[in-house]
Amino acid sequence: MSTPVLEVSDVRKVFVDKDFQTSVLKGVTFSLGRGEMVAMLGPSGSGKSTLLSILGTLMRPTSGSFRMLGRELTDMNEKALSEFRNQQIGFIFQYHHLLPDFTALENVLFPHAGRVGRETQAGRERAAMLLERVGMKDRMHYRATRLSGGQKQRVAIARALMNQPALVLADEPTGNLDRETADQAFALMQEIQRETGTTFLLSTHDRELAERCQRRIYLRAGVVVDQPPEAAAPAPAAPSLAAAAAASAGWRVIDGDRVAVVDHTVAFDRNAPAEDRRRTY
Amino acid sequence: MRFDLKVALRYLLSNRLQSALLIGGVAIAVMVYTFNAALINGLAEFQIQRVVGSSSHVTIEPAKIAPVLAPAADGAERLVVSQRALERREQIKQWRTVEQVIDTIPGVTGVSLNIIGTGLVSRGQQTLPVMLKGVEPARLSAIAPIDDTIVEGEPRLGLNDVLIGRKLAADLGIRVGQPIFITSEQGRERTLTVRGLYSTGVESLDGRLAYVNLDTARVMFDLPEGISEIEIKLADIYGAREIAKQLADTTGLEASAWMDKNQRLREALEGQGSSGSIIKFFTLITIIVGVASALLLTTYRRRPEIGIMRSFGISQNFVLSVFIIQGALIGVIGSLVGCALGWGFSTLLANITGASGRALPVDPALGQYQLALLLAATASIGAALWPARAASRIDPVEAISQ
Repeated sequence: MSTPVLEVSDVRKVFVDKDFQTSVLKGVTFSLGRGEMVAMLGPSGSGKSTLLSILGTLMRPTSGSFRMLGRELTDMNEKALSEFRNQQIGFIFQYHHLLPDFTALENVLFPHAGRVGRETQAGRERAAMLLERVGMKDRMHYRATRLSGGQKQRVAIARALMNQPALVLADEPTGNLDRETADQAFALMQEIQRETGTTFLLSTHDRELAERCQRRIYLRAGVVVDQPPEAAAPAPAAPSLAAAAAASAGWRVIDGDRVAVVDHTVAFDRNAPAEDRRRTY
Repeated sequence: MRFDLKVALRYLLSNRLQSALLIGGVAIAVMVYTFNAALINGLAEFQIQRVVGSSSHVTIEPAKIAPVLAPAADGAERLVVSQRALERREQIKQWRTVEQVIDTIPGVTGVSLNIIGTGLVSRGQQTLPVMLKGVEPARLSAIAPIDDTIVEGEPRLGLNDVLIGRKLAADLGIRVGQPIFITSEQGRERTLTVRGLYSTGVESLDGRLAYVNLDTARVMFDLPEGISEIEIKLADIYGAREIAKQLADTTGLEASAWMDKNQRLREALEGQGSSGSIIKFFTLITIIVGVASALLLTTYRRRPEIGIMRSFGISQNFVLSVFIIQGALIGVIGSLVGCALGWGFSTLLANITGASGRALPVDPALGQYQLALLLAATASIGAALWPARAASRIDPVEAISQ
């Protein structure tokens, strides 16, 4: 593996809501090399989005450490994190999340102009260059609301690259696109990754796209596992069954898959092996 | 252009109706503020001019003669009762010197030396009390524009002449050229000829006050040397207090300014002023509530966008200033429009004359526009602080998943 851009070590995240504690990440350890394109797979609720939020410095882990470009980020203050995020991390979201009142160019320029306080000529040139690279040169001055889903995602890709980040975090970037558009968007990210040497971490449900990445990480019930979750996956347990079982045992139902007793949270993971299906946190 | 300004402008322009309503709201509040100021201040000025136009600005009177007392023992309480000296009449004997002092004061536009006293005026069976004011004929109109108020006869004061109000003349059933018999409080009697009738519109003056020649008054009130008061008129009426103090200090006499002599006027003005202040206060509250609630709604609607900005490492301060700038723009534009409307409305009303032939005493020049602008802009910025803080503290993870 090449020089690590990101080193994650035993990262844990526990959400506390009044009497309930939900442990989402239970000791995640992995690293990403410079210029790698890595897919992160895992069922819903396995902690992918939480992990991306932590890696994107939008959320702090409960414990553990992670280093980016050799810097420990867990003990950095908010202001420094914000600056670091601006310079080194780019985000691509499932729902593009462009700012609707701004043009494609302004959206791409935003991470730069918002930080330095004004639109610079150099910034505009780079934004225009990026839009040209993602094939959006003709629609540079279109408002975000006038673009199609695929076009918006292209602009979002360009925006993520604006400040030449070391790492781009993409949370199901093709999840909202049709097959063909998704393939195009993915191909674009791949090309850019190769050209720029930017590290990409993509969370996805799309097995086909994941196969096209250099490496895959599987996240299951808050830990990184070696095999694809589906390898040993049994038939999903119906949430209603879990709820019925809970009710008969006198437990309180939190939601379809989770029930609670006095001081434990019991989770049913549909994709977990039968013996693991009932977990007490 | 600053990028936060650009974003703030874009946000305001993206929801034109809301922005227009907000600016309109601030404009109306500022219009009410400035119109209210123009009306209250215009009315005050009108009342002041009416009072000071026909009265003295600084009045010099004899010093009160204080009794000389032996020092009291420590802690002892002492009650002193003194009867007004009957032998030593209060009068200004050194008026010539005082006049010289007055001559050195810049901004004095008129001086009148007066002898004031009371008396009874009779004609036939009728006897009425009058206030007699002895003035120098040449300075008859130095204080009140008596010349201009003469409705019959002429403003002339020979030694045997008297000018009386139209009401007194009516009460006595007398006309110009006829004689009246006057007895002073000192018991001196004189028959004077009515030379002219004046009408000031103020009943108490028109029915009670009679002007006589200063030398006639000297004889009637037994004041061969002194005078009762010196009245002074100033170019700048608001400098009266200072000049009164200066005169009191240099002459050792009592000198009082018009505002201290007209307790009732002052109370009226203060009353108007404080009711005006209440209205102004509530217009400012309206601005704060309006701007704050609208911007809070905007903050809520733009939560995901703010989350995105924050996720790209845009600082909290940037978000803060985007919202504060919106408040400031609404405040400044709204109050500029409001000032223009307030001025226009005041000017319109100042030029409309009612059935009485008089317009409302609105003075468009007294609308306190700079103050309104400053206060409204400050209120808008202040009102934006809370939403701005709320916006800058949005948690990006929560906002994006919204």
